[in-house]
Amino acid sequence: MKLKNVAAVSAIALVTAIALSSCSSPSSPATTAPTKSAAPTVDLSTLSGTITSGGSSAQANAEAAWTAAFTSVATGVTINYDKSQGSGGGVTNWTGGSYDFAGTDSALNPAQVTAAATTCGAGGGLDLPVYLSGVAIIFNLPGVSKLNLDSKTIASIFNKTITKWNDPAIAALNKGVTLPADSITPVVRADGSGTTANFTTYLSETQPSIWTYPVSTAWPVTGESGQQGGSGVVSTVAAGKDTIGYADQSSVGTATQASIQQGTSGSTFVKYSASGATKAFQQGATTASNGTSGDLTQKFDVTKITSGYPIPLLSYAVVCTTFKDATQAKLTAAYLGFIDSANGQAVAAKNAGAAPLPAAILADVATSLKLVK
Amino acid sequence: MSATPADTPVQISNTANRPGAPKGSARTARTRSRPGDLVFKGLSTGAASLIMAILAGVALFLIIKALPAITANWTTNPQLTTGVTQGHSSFWSYVAPLIWGTVFVSAIGLLIGAPIAIGIALFISHYAPRRVAGVLSYIVDLLAAVPSIVFGLWGIFVIRPFLLPLTGWLNHHLGWIPFFSGQASATGSTVLAGAVVLAVMVIPIITAISREIFLQTPRLHEEAALAMGATKWEMIRLAVFPYARSGMVSAILLGLGRALGETMAIALIVSPSLIFSLKILTDGQNSQTVAANAALNFPDANDLQRDALIGTGLVLFIITFAVNLIARLIVARTGPGAKGAKAKRRIQQLPPSDPSSVLLADAEAGPLHLRTSEGS
Amino acid sequence: MTRVTVSSASRSSVPSGPIVNSLKTGQLPRLIELYALIAALAISAAILIAVGFSIVGWLVVAALVYLVGIGVLSSLVENRRKATDRVVRGLVTVAFLIAMAPLISTLYTVIARGIGEINWNFVTSVTKATFNPKTLVVSTNIGAWQAVVGTLIITGIAALMSIPIGILTAIYLVEYSQKPTWMSRTVTFLVDIMTGIPSIVAGLFAFALFTLLVGPKAFSGFSASVALSVLMIPIVVRSSEEMLKLVSLELREASYALGVSKFSTIWKIVLPTAISGLVTGVMLAIARVIGETAPIFIAASFTPNLNLNAFFGAMETLPVMAYTEYKFPSTDMTGSISAAWGAALLLIIIVVILNLIARIVARVFSPRGLR
Repeated sequence: MKLKNVAAVSAIALVTAIALSSCSSPSSPATTAPTKSAAPTVDLSTLSGTITSGGSSAQANAEAAWTAAFTSVATGVTINYDKSQGSGGGVTNWTGGSYDFAGTDSALNPAQVTAAATTCGAGGGLDLPVYLSGVAIIFNLPGVSKLNLDSKTIASIFNKTITKWNDPAIAALNKGVTLPADSITPVVRADGSGTTANFTTYLSETQPSIWTYPVSTAWPVTGESGQQGGSGVVSTVAAGKDTIGYADQSSVGTATQASIQQGTSGSTFVKYSASGATKAFQQGATTASNGTSGDLTQKFDVTKITSGYPIPLLSYAVVCTTFKDATQAKLTAAYLGFIDSANGQAVAAKNAGAAPLPAAILADVATSLKLVK
Repeated sequence: MSATPADTPVQISNTANRPGAPKGSARTARTRSRPGDLVFKGLSTGAASLIMAILAGVALFLIIKALPAITANWTTNPQLTTGVTQGHSSFWSYVAPLIWGTVFVSAIGLLIGAPIAIGIALFISHYAPRRVAGVLSYIVDLLAAVPSIVFGLWGIFVIRPFLLPLTGWLNHHLGWIPFFSGQASATGSTVLAGAVVLAVMVIPIITAISREIFLQTPRLHEEAALAMGATKWEMIRLAVFPYARSGMVSAILLGLGRALGETMAIALIVSPSLIFSLKILTDGQNSQTVAANAALNFPDANDLQRDALIGTGLVLFIITFAVNLIARLIVARTGPGAKGAKAKRRIQQLPPSDPSSVLLADAEAGPLHLRTSEGS
Repeated sequence: MTRVTVSSASRSSVPSGPIVNSLKTGQLPRLIELYALIAALAISAAILIAVGFSIVGWLVVAALVYLVGIGVLSSLVENRRKATDRVVRGLVTVAFLIAMAPLISTLYTVIARGIGEINWNFVTSVTKATFNPKTLVVSTNIGAWQAVVGTLIITGIAALMSIPIGILTAIYLVEYSQKPTWMSRTVTFLVDIMTGIPSIVAGLFAFALFTLLVGPKAFSGFSASVALSVLMIPIVVRSSEEMLKLVSLELREASYALGVSKFSTIWKIVLPTAISGLVTGVMLAIARVIGETAPIFIAASFTPNLNLNAFFGAMETLPVMAYTEYKFPSTDMTGSISAAWGAALLLIIIVVILNLIARIVARVFSPRGLR
């Protein structure tokens, strides 16, 4: 009996010891790749290591496709992209040093630029456009499969000044469509999101007198049905009746999209298309560096979009110019270089419905990536 | 606190004071103390101390992280005037509706769930045939095994559409009651749906623990009650409930802990607003909870906003503590210990040595006091 | 003359009303409850056919009719106390049936939506995307193996840390701090507060702790285990404490009287007696934390890749997989959502298996002849 007791006690002691020792054991360092002299073109198959990244969920599907395509050549590389973090969380983890790069739907703000300078050293951090897409307006109105909307009605619906589907403003845009006299249920994002920021940018730039709320990652209007995530909005709109919502086109799936008026007047109404979004980028975006050399922050003026898709969504990768570990820098730069190649953009277009970025901006990105060391 | 004399009818804490029981400290029990004893005592004391260390760590972390957000100026700080914390004048104006929402939603969930859970526990322990009871308790345990993400998905795909007709009906016919007023939801993402799912989530927790405790009621108490002509329900009220009171409160508090801290299910189901609202059937006027708010907004928050969200977590901490404290006080005031304290002291001094006095002491410590009365 | 009176702790629970000789009063026939139930179902059907039939409404109205009916009938024929007894019996049964509905609905939903997804390939293969360089098409084969492994590693380590700490603390509280000392008071108090830690805060705490220890790239399965332990320990302590307190004092005293040491008494008498309750509590705690998503994200990040090293790198668990597949579906949306249900079902199956193992363990160790 005594022996048994001792055995039992030592078993417990052992468990505790394991727990304690594992507490104190230092983490194994990141797998390092064999050092190699810097070369303009990298042979991907010689790379190895792990890229830890995360952020914007809008990019997630594109990242998954890029990862598959990249690792099919660079077989020694593991890429973890945490899409659950969101843009803000991605940048926060990146400035904290946890990520090699972060995906974000809005470029670094001044406070983040300062934080990045602390993390990355003198060179600071770079915003590199990687993913172009659009915000789709989706609705579920029994018996109605096609709906035309302009920026004015969209703003009025989402700020609750238009409350009925048969409102004259909606009816005027949809001649020949029988609209029910039911109340409109707008469905919005309950969580902070880059989709919301891009959508509110569109509303406040096109209709500043109707949409008086500031641009924000959090939905500013109270009293509407808020759902978690783009998929939450999409499934709620699809499951409900008389609903309307907005979501990144990559999460829309089979929900019915409304057509949106191009420009501020006219009779051309378009749904999201990759070519439309690329056109919107060419018309509306200008590079507006945040002061860091090589930074490619884009400033969108949606009122200049005359023939593209009116509500574009641009997502960035942010990356340090100076890495603590040169091999990690090379690895990350190689991956980002692949993303912002014509090939990488085609992969995202094919598999995630993304719009390819114009060649001009891709060339700029390639130049900026040379700064990453 | 559950070790205070007020809690349990049968006092374990008296053990050491009864003659014959070994004294806990090594000083007085030198003759009987064995190495195993010392090691074991050291281990268990160490585990208790470790808990203190862990919690001190968590609390310290929370306070250090939360302080900058609590003390920041919410109207001028550029990090706080945009995004998820926009439009709040101070930390307190941000957290106040969240506190309300957390307490409100959990209370409704518990109001639906706790009586049902106690009912099931009773059914399993005292009503169902013995053979069925084992199967039933296993099924309820299975419900406890369902992770909250599944309840969240189930809530979205099943409960929301299921409750929609009820939502409309309640709103139409009983709309004059504040809870049911407002514009009835068209999507089903209401506080009601969230509370129903919360109720389903707390049921297995409360049931599993209450069941075990009901089963432990001394047969003697139950048979004494029945022998005096009590019906089954009276027997339960007289013998089972008083005996199980502390355990039931513990069970309900554990359930409440889950309800207060529940994150994903609420975040997925309820359409939130940061307001003080009693309405449970609307889309746009649902009070938001602390945990769901943190989960929803954490990903897209900047550093100071994250600190603010951690600050709301700190407040949830305090709420939980306050709720626990109040519940414990209630138990202490109404529990059998409040009146029976004197009787207990007598037991300590006069230990039972023969079977009949053991029975008597048992009965005295329990809810059924067999005592000679002159006055009443 | 000494009168023996029944008094109870709370005045409200004293049986009130005159003591009626039940041999002389009327009694309802033995199967009255069955007859009443059939009658209630019939009445309810009649009422609902008048206003519009629905199965849920039918059962709800039938339950109400039954409760009112049996109460009135019994108080007319028998007496008020018996009527209360019968109504409570009905209420308890109804409560049970109400609880069965969501359980069956949840299980049915998960099984119906998830079963199509679960097959040998789904369970044992890692999510793998293959890229065709000619067509540029990425095709993804969603597998759950990396999440199964992650779940078992993270929850396993959390359980290994929490169960000993939790049960030992409960033993300390119940067995070693006879009089409430400052320490036992503090520990109970802290455990109370710990039950209120929001899961996301536990994740943040663990991540911050590991950032401090190992630097910024602190994502690891072990860090998630620490977060889960913070959530799990209070549940284990709370339930174990209650279960240990229920072990009859006489058992301990009998053991002490035989000269058995305190440690042996706890080890050989108290723990085996309470083992069924302890296992229930531990399983509740495991079930509670195995389904957590928020702390795993924060402490272990996210990855669709297999990672067997608990101490370095991102790790995925089944609830995280279910959550991400639902919240961030791929372009093949229906595929993602059914994968989410598949992961959810797999998680439940794992918990059920763990539960079964725990019950067998409890049965092996519990003393013979105890219930």
